[in-house]
Amino acid sequence: MRKLIPLAIAAAAIAVLPSAPASATGAIKCKPTPQSSWKTQEVLKAKLVKEGWTVRKSKVDGGCYEVYGTTPEGDRVEAYFHPVTLEKLYVARRGEVLFRKQGY
Amino acid sequence: MRTILNKKLTFWLLLSLPAFLLVLGWWQGRIDSMDMLHPTGEWSARLMIIAMALSPLVSLLGAKPWLNWLVARRRAFGVAAFGYALLHLIFYLIDMGNLDDILAEWMAPGIWTGWAAFGLMLPLALTSNDRSMRWLKAGWKRLQRLVYPAAILTLLHWIWVHNSYAGALVHFVPLGLLVLARFLKKPLSQMKPLGV
Repeated sequence: MRKLIPLAIAAAAIAVLPSAPASATGAIKCKPTPQSSWKTQEVLKAKLVKEGWTVRKSKVDGGCYEVYGTTPEGDRVEAYFHPVTLEKLYVARRGEVLFRKQGY
Repeated sequence: MRTILNKKLTFWLLLSLPAFLLVLGWWQGRIDSMDMLHPTGEWSARLMIIAMALSPLVSLLGAKPWLNWLVARRRAFGVAAFGYALLHLIFYLIDMGNLDDILAEWMAPGIWTGWAAFGLMLPLALTSNDRSMRWLKAGWKRLQRLVYPAAILTLLHWIWVHNSYAGALVHFVPLGLLVLARFLKKPLSQMKPLGV
């Protein structure tokens, strides 16, 4: 019995490890669209700045544009936008979801 | 060579190597302040988990030379966990850049748990020396048990700030199982003479 416990733990630990999805980075996903139809990140940034956002960083994540910045309301957030339509899809502050478009 | 490798100082240097490489990358402009947050936090959690896993491992596996070697360095793991937490906090403050933004989000579940975990780790790190051990006597051990709520807060901080379970659970589930097994082991071994 004594020897079984560490073995059981090792087995359980090994069983748990691979169950974690490898692609857990993106908060949301956008359906794959041809890159040629994408607007550039510069266009998105310009649009957001015009709306009163402060953009600190942007990148592609889960097939969407992910932006770190401050909303016109002054919330420091992580937001996702559709790369073709530039529509706002998801906004979260430190993991707290403030906005999520239906279907995403 | 072996004596150099076994020196405590060598071990401290080894534990600070990831911090050195991260800060160097930031200094050279290769890593944004924002991107310093995840690795520093993850290293802090890892080192905390190792420090906490050692005594359950000893109680489950018995004394082993490699375990003794690690147990002799448990203080280094614990203090390094705090060091990375401090670095994590410093880069959070640098990234936020102003008090208003920090105050605006402190009550977010992913944020206050981080502050609270840090608050609990602070007295643990400050008393991680021989002098405090002598001074606090039996109270030292009771104080150091604050690492359990600190670990739970760290786990929640990780889950909530990312709004995802995967990374946090991969790290904390093995520790949880070890701690659980250690508590289960006691009654089982007491039952042994009856069962035989």
